[in-house]
Amino acid sequence: MNGNLYKPLKSELIKVINESPLIKTFVLVPEEAFSFATGQFIEVTIDGMGEAPFTPSSSPLKSDQLEITVMKTGYVTDHMHNMQPGEKMGIRGPYGRGYPVEKFYDKEVLILGGGCGFAPIRSLLYNLIAISDKLRKVTLCYGSKTPEDCVYKPYVEELRQTPKFEVLRSVDQPDENWTERVGVVTVLLDDVEMDINNSVAVVCGPPIMMKFGTMKLLEMGYPESDIFLSMEKNMSCGLGKCGHCMMGKYLVCKDGPVFTYDEIKDQPHIWN
Amino acid sequence: MNRISIPKHEWDERLLQLLSSFEVYAPVENEFSCDYVIVDADTIPDIVYNKPKPVTPLKKFFLPVKENVTSAAKALKPVVILGAPNCDVMALAFLDEIYLDQEYPDPAYRRRRENTILISADCLSIQEHCHCTNYGIEPIGNEHSDLSLALVEEHLIITTYSKKGELLIESLGIVVAMNPEKNLEESLETLRTQVLDQLKKQNGELPDYKETGMLVSSAGDESWKKYASSCVSCGACSAICPTCSCFLLIDKPGFEKIRQLDTCQYPGFERVAGGEDALGDLSERFRNRYMCKYVWKPEKYHLKACTGCGRCIETCIGQINKNELFVELSN
Repeated sequence: MNGNLYKPLKSELIKVINESPLIKTFVLVPEEAFSFATGQFIEVTIDGMGEAPFTPSSSPLKSDQLEITVMKTGYVTDHMHNMQPGEKMGIRGPYGRGYPVEKFYDKEVLILGGGCGFAPIRSLLYNLIAISDKLRKVTLCYGSKTPEDCVYKPYVEELRQTPKFEVLRSVDQPDENWTERVGVVTVLLDDVEMDINNSVAVVCGPPIMMKFGTMKLLEMGYPESDIFLSMEKNMSCGLGKCGHCMMGKYLVCKDGPVFTYDEIKDQPHIWN
Repeated sequence: MNRISIPKHEWDERLLQLLSSFEVYAPVENEFSCDYVIVDADTIPDIVYNKPKPVTPLKKFFLPVKENVTSAAKALKPVVILGAPNCDVMALAFLDEIYLDQEYPDPAYRRRRENTILISADCLSIQEHCHCTNYGIEPIGNEHSDLSLALVEEHLIITTYSKKGELLIESLGIVVAMNPEKNLEESLETLRTQVLDQLKKQNGELPDYKETGMLVSSAGDESWKKYASSCVSCGACSAICPTCSCFLLIDKPGFEKIRQLDTCQYPGFERVAGGEDALGDLSERFRNRYMCKYVWKPEKYHLKACTGCGRCIETCIGQINKNELFVELSN
């Protein structure tokens, strides 16, 4: 990272991938090598417009380029969605505590994702594929509103061909071609068979899905300390100083964004 | 640590010497209050020693309301801040925990901190809302300043705490080996005891810091709604608070970033792009400030996040007195 904590590293946008009507993936080439651990986040600056936190969706094993998958949902992301290859963004980071993948060794990993929450999960999956000899199996349960909203469609097909990895998907509103599950993402948990005593769970998605997903995992018998949540707050400086991402005694930017449920269950406003 | 005494008129002469190489700030009384000014030859006799609480908290010297945090650093003239009360010195030491943390020391804050010699002053009187001692902070200088001063019987008793402080004293030609006369030390001790007694009398019913944390944690929604009813989210309490230091980053063309002091008392402080806002409700924001100071920050940092200066009480246009709230909760 360059000298000044607040100065972004210029990065060229080389490709824009349309994932769904509201979600795009931006492929960035930073001016200097940039590495991160899966689950850590970066601050992305749109010059003169604003800055917003995103967890890269690309492999943490690559340092020459990185990808962020962004839903159009506010001022900064509206501007991002209008950007074209060749333009520059700024990045700062990486910040925070990512997924402790070493804790997943010799375990079954159950991943629950919703909507754009697949972004950090895809980065985690790249990491897990690289260490799959150390894992028992990885089951991804992914939900979105409609089949059109499902992101990373080609990647899901690749993943389904990968030994030890399985993908289950559901949508709230199916179309006539949809052959997978229908309902909120937690319905998929009825279909999975996990050895809960030798398993960890990862949840990432919109707050409401995180809440009900966590409740369901607890019902299934997952210990609170084995449920890993990627929390979303208004991380602004990324340095544990500006205070915008305070969640009780934690600053999500520095102490998180990945927490176990037992770490945060007594803090206020964890789901909003 | 060394203690020296010097007659006031001699000290004033030394200060004049100091002005050639330092930008010196000290509290001076104006028609309605007392606040820091840039000292020049004419203001040296007007410097107020040992009176609590200049209007401006120390943080403003290190965290300006607005600054560009991405532009190249400009040369700074070395600064001496003279006459800071210990509530403010301890508040600054608390800010050091946030802004000079090992992982991400803030460049602009660090530069100003390193560029400044901090001279505290014992409080030898109290003001209406002073309550430092309830939070375990004594109104006398300590090692969080470079030097401390007490004006007693037309003599300055100087205590040195840091190498920086000692060097400054030496550079002024003051002999460090001279100990204050016994009668001066005794007079100072008497004044200090009087101040401690006055604070105790003024704040007898006020819970201490730890108890305040427990009261704040367990207070129900009704208490917060009641006390927040006259809050208008103006943020004055945070602006004047010596430990509130949250900020907003504003982007400017050229990948420049402006840091502007902010507060959790403003609507939208925690709002995320998806629309969720944990502090959307005014009484939640009001509660958040006290939870932050008395419950959450104490779990994260070593020093106190409220040093009992009482400025938030004095500044509130809604007439909210946090100490009345805490006394009520304790009853």
